[in-house]
Amino acid sequence: MEDEKFDCIIVGAGVAGLAAAMTLARNNMKFLLIEKGEFAGSKNVSGGVIWGNDLAKLVPNYWEEKDAGWERYITQRRLTFMDEQSSFSIDFKSSHFRETPYSGVVVLRSKFDRWLAGKVEEAIAESDFAMDSFIATNIKVDEVLMEDGKAVGIRTGEEEFHANSVIIAEGVNNLLTRQVGLQDDYVPADHMLTGIKEVIRYDQEKLEDRFQLSGLGGMSNEYIGYATDGVEGGGFLYTNRDTISIGLVLGLKDLREKGKSPHDILNHFKKHPAVEDTIRGGEVVEYSAHVVSSGDKRLMPKELYKDGVLICGEAANLLMNAGKAIQGMDYAMRSGILAAETIGKAKERDDFSSSTLKEYRQALDESFVMKDMNSFQDAVHMLHSPQMFKDVPNLICDFGRKFFTINNEPTPKSRKMMAESIKEHSSYWDLMKLGFKGAKSL
Amino acid sequence: MNLLKLTERLGLVSYRNQSKSEIKPHIIVDTDICNSTCPHKCTTYVCPANCYTMDENGTVHFQVEDCIECGTCMYACDQGAVDWNYPDPEIGRGVTWNYG
Repeated sequence: MEDEKFDCIIVGAGVAGLAAAMTLARNNMKFLLIEKGEFAGSKNVSGGVIWGNDLAKLVPNYWEEKDAGWERYITQRRLTFMDEQSSFSIDFKSSHFRETPYSGVVVLRSKFDRWLAGKVEEAIAESDFAMDSFIATNIKVDEVLMEDGKAVGIRTGEEEFHANSVIIAEGVNNLLTRQVGLQDDYVPADHMLTGIKEVIRYDQEKLEDRFQLSGLGGMSNEYIGYATDGVEGGGFLYTNRDTISIGLVLGLKDLREKGKSPHDILNHFKKHPAVEDTIRGGEVVEYSAHVVSSGDKRLMPKELYKDGVLICGEAANLLMNAGKAIQGMDYAMRSGILAAETIGKAKERDDFSSSTLKEYRQALDESFVMKDMNSFQDAVHMLHSPQMFKDVPNLICDFGRKFFTINNEPTPKSRKMMAESIKEHSSYWDLMKLGFKGAKSL
Repeated sequence: MNLLKLTERLGLVSYRNQSKSEIKPHIIVDTDICNSTCPHKCTTYVCPANCYTMDENGTVHFQVEDCIECGTCMYACDQGAVDWNYPDPEIGRGVTWNYG
């Protein structure tokens, strides 16, 4: 294997790397996919929902497979505003969510990535390079080998592997992206968050009854307000087959400045009366954490390509939460596919320099990934402002408390109630500014 | 209500090379920086695995054994004390998630 030159070496068997590998295999390319964990997915953590329908591009009719790697498909979405006592939710359930391909599937990465890697193995077996393309696990890439400014392979320990191109899909802690000079050596905490999560197991029937799920339908719930104990960020709860994933994403700089610990805030969130009722019983079976980027474009690498190199997924900080959903794995998938397609073109032209590889950036710019990230930057900033994670949830819950409480006294008009809530938690002026911003950014 | 302590939570994590007595640390922390010029010692509270601790004298200590490779300290430390890397599969520690 050492002496052979690959068309491409992919670093990292997460969603981006596996999507790239699948695309390369289908295009009859000779590649090596390297993963540092024991198996694909063994070191990967996400919330997590894969939004959108790109999964059907990689695994057509994935919903027909009985023991596929995904947990449930989203049939119900809920956004919850919280203050200390109350929760006020927007809840949307629709039978159209049952149509395939689904518009979101919940995954647990240790299982999902492993399953997807199995599908890539199948695609390799059917390709012209069935004996020459590999997924290699238990290998940590120490360095991307550069010659005259062009990537020519990778080094792991004393061993070198050579290729015409390298796709870096190493995830958010992107050491190789930094090594090749596309990201600064030190990335400050400003636009980074720490995700923290517990997986809690229930009897499957009990879980389905509690969340009113039928078949493999599932629910996604995002939380804003009290959940994060005054720290920038939000909470989430997703239903898996017989477990739930519950957790928080917390602004790292804000944690540092406020002197708070993510694991304490997780218990604070779990103790909220509305959450406590939702998750009661059950057994915590895993605790995990991982850094996640915020969707602020200022964080992204300087460029996503250079001679012989492409950067995909979270390594490129392709992730966004603009208030609608936390999207990241779908961005990873599409960027992996587009990177691999660009490598295909480079092979045809026998030109792996940036003059061909820049077409990856162009394709990404024209796709929903960069279109959305460009369109919703203001929404990202707004969502990470104290008004959104504090004042607005407090105001909404306060209004809810007034509106829904009947106490056999003359009832003020709702407008008056709202005016009082606004006065207490914000001001008309601030709300107007926020409203203008919101109208513009969403 | 399943409110776990951090030690109980970390007890649920599967680590690699758990039986090896000697492991090569994948993160090197220059605690001299933490204990001299750092104004916040933030790793002692932001690390989700409590790898950074502060003793009664206010001195910061680091252990890599419980690390779950999340990356938090690499960004949170703005003093240049944290040299972060991934663990070596053979002689390092690090996690294998059962759910992920």
